[in-house]
Amino acid sequence: MSLVEKYPEEVKAIFAKYPADKKRSAVMPLLYLAQREEGYVKKESMQEIAAMLDLDTTEVASIVGFYTLYHDEKAGKYRMQVCNDLPCALRGADKFLESLCGNLGIKVGETTPDGLVTLEAVMCLAACDKAPMFQLQDGDKVEYYENMTVDRTMELVEALKKGGKEIK
Amino acid sequence: MAKLINLTINGVAVTVPDGTLVVDAAKKAGIDIPVFCYHPKMEPVGMCRQCLVEIGRPAIDRATGQPALNDDGTPKLQFMPKLETACTNPVSEGMVVLTATEKAKAGQKELLELLLTSHPLDCPICDKGGECPLQNLTVEYGSSQSRFIFDEKQRADKHVHLGELINLDRERCIQCARCIRFQRDVAGDPVLGFYQRGRLTDIVTYSDPGFDSVFSGNTTDICPVGALTTADFRFGARSWELKQSASLCAQCPVGCNVTFNTRREAKSGGVMAIKRVMPRQNEQVNETWICDKGRFAGYHYTEAESRLGLDAASMESALSQAADKLAAAKSDAVFLAGGRLSNEDFYNLKQLAAKLGAKAYLYSPMAGGEYTTAYGLGAGSNLGDLGKDDTVLVVASDLYNEAPVWHLRLKAAAKRGATLIVAAGRATKLDEFASFVVRYAYGDEVETVKGLAGKEKIGDAIKNAANLVVFYGSDGLGLAGTSALAAACADLLNGKTGKVNNGLVGVWNAPNTQGAYELGLAPAADLKSELKGKTVYVIAADPAGDDPALADALKSAKAVIAQDILATATTQMAAVVLPAAAYTEREGTYTTAERRVQRFYLAVPAKAGTRADFAIFAELGKKLGVELEGRSALLVMNKIAAEEKAFAGISYARLAEVTAQWPIVGRGDLYYGGTGYENKLGLGVHLALALTPAPSTSGRGGQMRPKENELVAVPVSKIYDLGVTMAPAKLLGQRIGAAAVGLNPVTAAKLNVENGGKVQVQVNGVTAEAIARFDESISTGVVLIYRSFGIPISEPTSVKIVVAEKA
Repeated sequence: MSLVEKYPEEVKAIFAKYPADKKRSAVMPLLYLAQREEGYVKKESMQEIAAMLDLDTTEVASIVGFYTLYHDEKAGKYRMQVCNDLPCALRGADKFLESLCGNLGIKVGETTPDGLVTLEAVMCLAACDKAPMFQLQDGDKVEYYENMTVDRTMELVEALKKGGKEIK
Repeated sequence: MAKLINLTINGVAVTVPDGTLVVDAAKKAGIDIPVFCYHPKMEPVGMCRQCLVEIGRPAIDRATGQPALNDDGTPKLQFMPKLETACTNPVSEGMVVLTATEKAKAGQKELLELLLTSHPLDCPICDKGGECPLQNLTVEYGSSQSRFIFDEKQRADKHVHLGELINLDRERCIQCARCIRFQRDVAGDPVLGFYQRGRLTDIVTYSDPGFDSVFSGNTTDICPVGALTTADFRFGARSWELKQSASLCAQCPVGCNVTFNTRREAKSGGVMAIKRVMPRQNEQVNETWICDKGRFAGYHYTEAESRLGLDAASMESALSQAADKLAAAKSDAVFLAGGRLSNEDFYNLKQLAAKLGAKAYLYSPMAGGEYTTAYGLGAGSNLGDLGKDDTVLVVASDLYNEAPVWHLRLKAAAKRGATLIVAAGRATKLDEFASFVVRYAYGDEVETVKGLAGKEKIGDAIKNAANLVVFYGSDGLGLAGTSALAAACADLLNGKTGKVNNGLVGVWNAPNTQGAYELGLAPAADLKSELKGKTVYVIAADPAGDDPALADALKSAKAVIAQDILATATTQMAAVVLPAAAYTEREGTYTTAERRVQRFYLAVPAKAGTRADFAIFAELGKKLGVELEGRSALLVMNKIAAEEKAFAGISYARLAEVTAQWPIVGRGDLYYGGTGYENKLGLGVHLALALTPAPSTSGRGGQMRPKENELVAVPVSKIYDLGVTMAPAKLLGQRIGAAAVGLNPVTAAKLNVENGGKVQVQVNGVTAEAIARFDESISTGVVLIYRSFGIPISEPTSVKIVVAEKA
């Protein structure tokens, strides 16, 4: 199903934000929209967006490739992006990530067997003072989880299984 | 003329126009600054940082606002604390540039060391080896050691097919974005892009088919490393084994200058073989570019297995038989020649026919040459000079498919400020770059052109143009239509005839159609009836293969003599076959549609048992008592120059003259323009305008337009087809595709035809299968049929379309 068929109102709202002769600017919100359902942008969606904005599919794909919050491959429902850059590592982020891997039974870059969580290591998320921290990407939404421990993270994973995102 | 700026580079005083970049100013002074991302045909981006130099500018005394002086009275120079990129800095008055100081060299060397941290240096197995600026620079700086850790070297895929034509080696890529920028800015086909970032940066294409652009081969020329290579030349030869032969591309009327790279090899039986086609710089014709048709189909047909040849005795007897038949026929002979022949061939042919009293016709799907010879581009014209205040009109032609390099050059003219008007019966790729797009219903071409002057903005652009160039083609038209269209277009040029950068250009389908017209040949209005009962001498044309009706007409001829380089349907039905040498195997000249006469040189020896066409005519002449020059093409040209007014003053020596061209592209340079060749063997000479009175431009028109519930088929062209010179290009097989017809969805709905569905086309007495392709931009009731796909279509005609039964 095409984006226009699936989200007619949203597409209209996005187009309304940009002047008609500069509609190519709508490419980023449209890509988030395309990513909403399954957490990644399918090639058909890129083609559809390119056609809507008079761009070449390759130009749209380049944007997906450049920005780290767009994905072109199916992964877990949630992407847990742990920062392990130097300042975070000094606050224990690398150990946190390592034991999180152990608890989830997956390596960095892998997805839990139930398809719920994909664990990723990323560069600076601008929250060094609150490390260990990660952001949770759910399609087109991102939330920060700061001052985390492995226990609290596993609690979050349990909540995610039940459809919630809250932890005590 | 821009203001001139004085500066010194490495102590050499240089004067260049304002706005010139330091890197270009240095090149003009003969100083090579190494570059990777910078290319003189594209805007600078400063991405690779290889061109680091020291730049000093005269210091200004802040108190007085005057230039600060040293104690000895010389201007005080202010150098930036760090090195600067020569490719992004324009020159300024009094600037001092140092490119070879220890500091500059150290900067360049370190940059190279950084680039090499993720480059495999696999030069011994790289197709670019021997003509690669990265390799040259590495050798020059001689760093045999890297301070970086070898184990951390970037590993990436080495065999990525960006399509079946272009291969990408991801390890070799240095992310200079030349290919991406070429596709976006020069070609206007943004089908390449970066993916990811940092060390993961990758070149990708998402088009279908991969790397879908007819200019894709040029990216392999300008790639400064061996990342992009062609499938055609892949592992074909080492660059230093190759010889160079100046030639021309014979696939369309643009006349791109090319260099054939040849070598003697065991694989080809110990004879010289062409290994690849490279662009040869001619800033007035093709700049430094060629299209993929020229590169991947270019000469390949001259090596097809269907090449004809006869041993000496058989050749002699074939010539005698042909002479006997012509002698018997005399004025009952009809000569029919295709636009693949050279000027020299056409001239000898014309002389022979004239002495026999026979008729000589050009075999061409498009007419109007009497107008392009009288209203053609004035001597000295250059599409590259068109810009602000100039207007270019393109009517009934899809230049991207029919003459790709013009598409590229007109796009550039529009960017420089020229008003580009595209009038066509369907959407074409040039529309995107046009100031005005005029869409007409097929059949209204002539009326549309006549009405242009009356339109407000378009009319002004045409009337007030400082220079006006009109391209007309055969999209949807046959002989009668193109002739009327040429007249209507010529009418717009009244009063501008003979002026530089003004004129009418015919988008022919062959390299020398213009030359044929200049020498007085023209197509027959009703070819079929001309052939009946006559002795027909067909040269470099395949009427029987193009149209069964013409095959029937040839069957009704008294005798058929066929002369060609390849076996065709026509040679198969001929009583006498004369095998000709291909243009790569001889010398000669073509006249481009811009009326520029250009020389092509011998690249490989003639295939055994073949002769150049002009020599065959001379041989026949000898037998028929007609004295013709057959010793060399040069001598024939001397005769043409003496006898044909338009060619007056042209000689092979003049055609071989070159003048300095900018940008300077040379293959060993670190200032790297690409693997294309500089032009050492001739830029060509414009013809003088024909002095014959111009034909009347009024009172023609009246074409076919579909009535209610009627379907009209019109002929259109696609770049890759199954024509005689295209079909042997195996590499392009996938892109040629199957026969297709174009329909408006509304028309298709009435016929229950689906997009991509199979249909049966009944036209001109033939029933053929084709794929239906929807095109919303064309008028209803019209069926586009592509030429040279096995469905005969020469003129607009009625057609029947039925949905093919599903297998």
